[in-house]
Amino acid sequence: MRPLVTFVCLLLTLSQARADSILIRNADLYSGNGVSPATDILVRNGTIVAVGPGLDIPADVTIFEAKGKSITAGLFNSSTQLGVVEVGAIAATNDYSSDNERFTAALKVADAVNPSSTLIPQNRIHGLTHALVMPRTKVGIFAGQAAIIQLGTEGSTVVNDSVAVVVELGEAAAKRVGGSRAIALAILREALDDARDYRDNREEVLKGNRRDYALSLADLSALDPVITGDKPLIVTVHRASDISAVLALGATYQLKLILSGATEGWRVADAIAAAGVPVIVNVANNLPKSYETLGARLDNAARLDAAGVTVLLMGMNRDQTHNAYLVRQAAGNAVANGMAKSAAIAAMTSNPARVFGLQGAGDIAVGSAANLVVWGGDPLELTSEAELVLINGRNIPLVSRSTQLRDRYFQRLQKD
Amino acid sequence: MGLIRTYWATALLVTLLVGCSAETPSSKKTVSYPDKNPFPSTYSATQQSPFVIRAVNVLTGTGEQREAVDVLVVEGKISSIGEALNVPGKTIEVDGKGKWLTPGLIDVHSHMGVYPSPQTSNHSDVNEATSPVTARVWAEHSVWPQDPAFEKAIAGGITTFQVLPGSANLIGGRGVTLKNVPSVTVQGMKFPGAPYSLKMACGENPKRVYGAKLVTPSTRMGNMAGYRAAWIKAQKYSDDWNQYLEKSATDEDLLPPERDLELETLKGVLDGEIRIHNHCYKADEMAQMIDMSREFGYEIAAFHHAIEAYKLAPLLAENNICAVMWADWWGFKQEAFDMVRENIAMVDYAQACAVIHSDDPLQIQRLNQEVAKAMSAGNRMGLDIKPAQAIRWLTLNPAKSLGLDDKIGSIESGKNADLVLWDGPPLSVYSHATQVWIDGVLRFDKTRPGVRPTSDFNVGILVPGENRP
Repeated sequence: MRPLVTFVCLLLTLSQARADSILIRNADLYSGNGVSPATDILVRNGTIVAVGPGLDIPADVTIFEAKGKSITAGLFNSSTQLGVVEVGAIAATNDYSSDNERFTAALKVADAVNPSSTLIPQNRIHGLTHALVMPRTKVGIFAGQAAIIQLGTEGSTVVNDSVAVVVELGEAAAKRVGGSRAIALAILREALDDARDYRDNREEVLKGNRRDYALSLADLSALDPVITGDKPLIVTVHRASDISAVLALGATYQLKLILSGATEGWRVADAIAAAGVPVIVNVANNLPKSYETLGARLDNAARLDAAGVTVLLMGMNRDQTHNAYLVRQAAGNAVANGMAKSAAIAAMTSNPARVFGLQGAGDIAVGSAANLVVWGGDPLELTSEAELVLINGRNIPLVSRSTQLRDRYFQRLQKD
Repeated sequence: MGLIRTYWATALLVTLLVGCSAETPSSKKTVSYPDKNPFPSTYSATQQSPFVIRAVNVLTGTGEQREAVDVLVVEGKISSIGEALNVPGKTIEVDGKGKWLTPGLIDVHSHMGVYPSPQTSNHSDVNEATSPVTARVWAEHSVWPQDPAFEKAIAGGITTFQVLPGSANLIGGRGVTLKNVPSVTVQGMKFPGAPYSLKMACGENPKRVYGAKLVTPSTRMGNMAGYRAAWIKAQKYSDDWNQYLEKSATDEDLLPPERDLELETLKGVLDGEIRIHNHCYKADEMAQMIDMSREFGYEIAAFHHAIEAYKLAPLLAENNICAVMWADWWGFKQEAFDMVRENIAMVDYAQACAVIHSDDPLQIQRLNQEVAKAMSAGNRMGLDIKPAQAIRWLTLNPAKSLGLDDKIGSIESGKNADLVLWDGPPLSVYSHATQVWIDGVLRFDKTRPGVRPTSDFNVGILVPGENRP
């Protein structure tokens, strides 16, 4: 039995085939718009230049035959700490949170992203091409500024170093700020008021002629694009009443909100939809793990989607970062619990690209960057593996530290 | 229900014996070892009419797939499997056409009940982290039978699960095997006749927890010294009791050794009655635990969270030790850094006993998906693992690790009728368990809210009567 040899040969063939131009043939194309069976996709110089059935075969392209397989845009997980954690329990490798009180909203997680993290190849080879990197709150309510990374093999992985400011409310925040969720809201209002005051009186403030602020000037500057509505405020919150309070605050301050978690979002889905607020959903969470998630249920994503909310997906329960690519399993479970397949696929491709303003990502369209994954079968089945991963048209070698360990030990096992 | 009858007969005998000795204190001394089952199971399955699931596709749990066969259940046992079965009168017909049947799923690593939802400190009863060796504690005494996680797990096909103490301690205490049935008491969930287990933990957790308190162990060598000291005491205790039991029949003045709950449990391991379930991530540490088991003469049933099992799978096979693994979790600590998605497939390839587990009240709801991922990783590597083979990781192999493979884990005549009917292929992400039977009793029916348990905790929460998936 020599399966490994065959597999290694396959890998070599693919890596050697890396080229500027590739024609993927006969793939069932899945997107937010539905399915286009047996479709060809031509990629040149990192860009999709043609999409359709039966494309002509140019002489200079590498052909990837995908008959009976499927293709999606590269996966996008909207809640990770990719690049800012290596080993969870080793604090020195964790850069997603800080207990420094002077820099909260000002913490830019992008500054700490490590493109050489072993987590990046491990996620990339399973089809994850983009991720939102979220800071987490340790003191106060603000976690900092989220980044978007692309999991490519060359150049900087950070494609937006400050895509949103993240704030955590609800039970966890209440505990941090003195015991009541009401105080957390009061702190948020004060911060937004102060940011506005600082914006309107910057010179006086710098001369020392203005009242003191609770937050540092660095934090208030970070909040400036939030109060102008230019940059989203991502709010982690779960209980229906907390969500309603956040929506009301968002309306008052005219914020561009994104909700994260929103375990009881289904209970106020219409209000979320009416406010035009996207929601980052944890599909698997259906237990009353705390008193703010008593209404947890498996069809939260489906119900939010049905109400007209733009749904974004995170990965599976305890495993949000090291296996961020499992956002695909989350999408499968969303479908198993009532969400349309095209909606679930959009929730991990085109929706986050649109919400986070990532031009040319998340779609399979002429002119888009070629971030594509060919799957061995149905794109959401766990028995379908990523067989071809293109990031900006570059054919990613399907190798990670984990696959190398596997090969080392499987060879030994085969000799035994 | 021979099993239950035998069990009750034993329990009754024990009760009578205890009663006798209590009433006649001054007469001839009764030579006896302390009751080994002081918290007996009160579980019983109400007898149901026979039923037959017709024309269903079956993954038997023994490695076989059978298509469009009938499965007949009589008095809580699987009676027969075959085509167009003749069935007794009054047999209820269940249409299985186009559906799939698997054995009831088994999770050998759960903290449901002892670390329940809501995860508040009042109910967090999983780690007795006050001393590194707490063989004296029993997980069942921490189980809250109203944990709302149980009902979610049965919706995912889980019929049997082992509740273990946490891994803060070198020796954390006894685990207990429960049936996933609603009950006011934990005794009502206890799997009759199931052997007890003892939770041990290698590696980072014990040395971190106690190192932080500046007491031993603070290193891995401290861990080993701690286990060995405990086994040395246990051997002496065991010898003392054995000598007492041997000699006290003839020597009326001989006093029994002082009873010690800690050592009583460890003696149970040395006697082969209590099974070792050992949290142990790393290959090097597993090998040391195996040597230590030889040093003191006991067996290890399973290594849990065995991230590195693929590095020494042949040794596990040789020693008949199950590796209990996740499909893909990694990186949350250093000892989980060397994860390969092919771990389960490689252990299986080496013909060792491969088991999948959750250790998580969300993941326990979809262990079929975890099997799908582990199988797919193996096949991607070049193996040819079929669902019929892979489902063993979640059925017969975990049953073996619990010492219950004569009762559960496969669809074979004579076994307990723990069955899961699926509306599609069991390893598909789109499939749901639609009906779940335990000992032939329908305990979950997705289509009939009346046959779906809900815990007291959920009653009147948010919308009264609402059954949330």
